[in-house]
Amino acid sequence: MAEDIQQKLEKYRTAPFDARFPNQNQTRNCWQNYLDYYRCQKALDAKGVDTSPCDWYKRVYKSLCPLSWIEKWDTQREDGTFPGKI
Amino acid sequence: MAHQAHAYHMVDPSPWPLTGAIAALLMTSGLAIWFHFHSTTLMTLGLILLLLTMYQWWRDIIREGTFQGHHTPPVQKGLRYGMILFITSEVFFFLGFFWAFYHSSLAPTPELGGCWPPTGITPLDPFEVPLLNTAVLLASGVTVTWAHHSIMEGERKQAIQSLALTILLGLYFTALQAMEYYEAPFTIADGVYGSTFFVATGFHGLHVIIGSTFLAVCLLRQIQYHFTSEHHFGFEAAAWYWHFVDVVWLFLYVSIYWWGS
Repeated sequence: MAEDIQQKLEKYRTAPFDARFPNQNQTRNCWQNYLDYYRCQKALDAKGVDTSPCDWYKRVYKSLCPLSWIEKWDTQREDGTFPGKI
Repeated sequence: MAHQAHAYHMVDPSPWPLTGAIAALLMTSGLAIWFHFHSTTLMTLGLILLLLTMYQWWRDIIREGTFQGHHTPPVQKGLRYGMILFITSEVFFFLGFFWAFYHSSLAPTPELGGCWPPTGITPLDPFEVPLLNTAVLLASGVTVTWAHHSIMEGERKQAIQSLALTILLGLYFTALQAMEYYEAPFTIADGVYGSTFFVATGFHGLHVIIGSTFLAVCLLRQIQYHFTSEHHFGFEAAAWYWHFVDVVWLFLYVSIYWWGS
């Protein structure tokens, strides 16, 4: 269980089962991981610490989210119109 | 002379159901004409016909009941069932809008920012005017009960005063809500928050206006000695409707104004 984040990232094939989102509709899973990645980035950057643990969230949302959603949200973040709290 | 051997009311032929149906047709098709061809003539015609129908139909019922004595106990029982069933149907009407509100607010989508109230929406403070509105309607529930007891006890002056006070409270609520609508920082076009807020509270406001009107008619009738201490079903129906409007507000207040903020 006490696996190094680097080992986990190396072993990554696809998003594992997340008990927080057990049902067919995985929208919230995608949304949560997208938010968690950018929140993780922001928090670790502010501390001046290595942000590579955040890459887990990036892998997950890249696996789960439709590309159009990622593009839309990235554009919104650039424009300052992203509705989520980061 | 022919007598009926039963206590029921066989109503005389009346044109008002037909004019009401025609009014409904003109209003609905008028709405479509307004949307597509920018003319409000048909819809306005329908609206006028509706108002005339309501006035004349209910005037006839008052004539049949109060002046001609057709509203015997079994007839009154039927009218009670009718009012209860109507109010029940209105309950289901509002249930739909509450369903819509909870559907959208319990699982807010990413488009809203995954939160409720949605990103960018500043909801109204539930402890300001909305709380005053709650107090106003609760008070009006007390005054309408006072009016009822006054009627039952034959206290004419008190009945008139308490009924008038009830109506004034209803008008005060309407005025406060109108001001809130004008001053609100969000509109009906502001996503699903705006839609659920204004459709639910808007239909409620319409019902407050309808209820106030019903009570005002009762006030006029009370002044004109229509009600007796034993028989005043028109008033009771208006009071039931008014309590229903009050209860809907309480649900709106707790769900949309308070929890939803």
